[in-house]
Amino acid sequence: MFKPFSKVSPVTTLMLVSLQAIVLISVWQVMPAGLIPSPLRIGEAFGGLITSSLLWDNVLVSLLLTLKALFFSVLITLVFSYLSVVPFFRPLAQFIVKCRYLTLTGLIFVFTLLTRDGSQLKLSLLVFGIVPFFTTSFLSVILHTNAQEFELCQTLGYGRFQRLYEVIIVGKADQVFEIVRQNFAIAWMMITMVEGLSMSEGGIGTLLIKYNKYNDLVHVMALQVVIFCLGLLFDDILGRLRHWFFPYTKL
Amino acid sequence: MTIYSKGETLLQVKDLSLTYDNKCILHDINFTIDDIIRPGMQQGQVVSLIGRSGIGKTQLFRILSGLQKPDAGQILVREGTPWALRPVHAGDMGVIFQNYYQFGWRTVEQSLMLAARQNKALTGHEGEAIGEYAAQFDLIDVLQRYPRQLSGGQQQRVSIIQQLLKGSDFLLLDEPFSGLDVCVLDKVVNLLLQVSTSHELKTLIIVSHDIATAAAISDTVFILGRQEGQEGSTIVRSIDLMERGLAWEKNVMEKKVFMDTIAEIKSRL
Repeated sequence: MFKPFSKVSPVTTLMLVSLQAIVLISVWQVMPAGLIPSPLRIGEAFGGLITSSLLWDNVLVSLLLTLKALFFSVLITLVFSYLSVVPFFRPLAQFIVKCRYLTLTGLIFVFTLLTRDGSQLKLSLLVFGIVPFFTTSFLSVILHTNAQEFELCQTLGYGRFQRLYEVIIVGKADQVFEIVRQNFAIAWMMITMVEGLSMSEGGIGTLLIKYNKYNDLVHVMALQVVIFCLGLLFDDILGRLRHWFFPYTKL
Repeated sequence: MTIYSKGETLLQVKDLSLTYDNKCILHDINFTIDDIIRPGMQQGQVVSLIGRSGIGKTQLFRILSGLQKPDAGQILVREGTPWALRPVHAGDMGVIFQNYYQFGWRTVEQSLMLAARQNKALTGHEGEAIGEYAAQFDLIDVLQRYPRQLSGGQQQRVSIIQQLLKGSDFLLLDEPFSGLDVCVLDKVVNLLLQVSTSHELKTLIIVSHDIATAAAISDTVFILGRQEGQEGSTIVRSIDLMERGLAWEKNVMEKKVFMDTIAEIKSRL
């Protein structure tokens, strides 16, 4: 267990994680940390939150917005990534990649002018924030395609569009799930920011802002635990979906 | 001595040369492969390109398959009726890579279907053709598996069937005997002989450094080597194994003439 590159069984891993978490939480509980609430108090607040409809109503709002944003982001990413193999469109795809250096805060006003309501504003900001990261990952996948995949197509007498379809569209379809999984955290992280722009619709971000406003650190931390758990759940669901849709990824 | 004659030219390599980073890799490669006719049977052609490691065999393999363009010269292949020679394009040759590469996201059956759909002669009968080949090559049980679930031998057979289904008369094999144990080696040899006698125009071009195995199943051997004082490789010798009575013979490896031929090949490498 303490030797480099040792292999441990899933049961041992689970025990290891549980033990480390227990030790960490115990130390946190015992050590006084000023204003930072203790794990027990956060646990109590967490228990209260998950039994209230307030949390689930807001979680639902956030989830719907995230899923909508993911859907449009994947769509846009795929279109520009597939087009990137055509030299004419490559600069456009590369520009999208560079857009990840832009800050959303500086573009809120522009997006406010371009959208009709708060709901559209939140969605478009999320999509604008996610697409550059998705595109960066997917272009990297395309760029690192094994040359033999194209060569096998050539030996089968495939034309350029057939090669694009077989190697990039079909062959990399499983990677789309992996990219969504890896970058889901970005969407989840941004949701709390964009929801603050139009608070009337609610959402987990709105809830977080409200608790922050009243310095309710216990509930802020409890909400963080909820967000963390939901993130882990989605990570797991996306991983399972990938294996289900593309069985060869399990091999 | 087996009766045979040579017919039309099926493939012609003319003045081929390749330079990489200002360094000559291949120069003045010239050879032809003719249709071999044996009365009363379908006899394809088996040609071996033999050379030491690092001599440029892979580059020649890639050029022959149309995957790489030479700096000079051309490769002409037979086409149409009446026969005419035209430059080779990627897709003209069936290519079996050394690692038997297959799409990891396709099952064996799907991979074979991709190839069968490229063959106009099989239109509407792709499934039947796949079934026949799979039965012939003992792959029925693995049709629904992915490449990663196959053994090396199964992968090789899938690659061969895939290229056969595509309908190409030419089959290029890169080091087909590399890394095989004795039992599997025998199976591969029999498999290639089976393919070579499946059609009169079927032509196998084996690129290998395994001299004895390649020569044992070939009718012609081309030796790729270096000439004194010259940079790059070329065909330094071609040996007609039919003339020597060494083609299509069982237990040919035990014959003295064969051993002498192997010694001759080794001396020219």
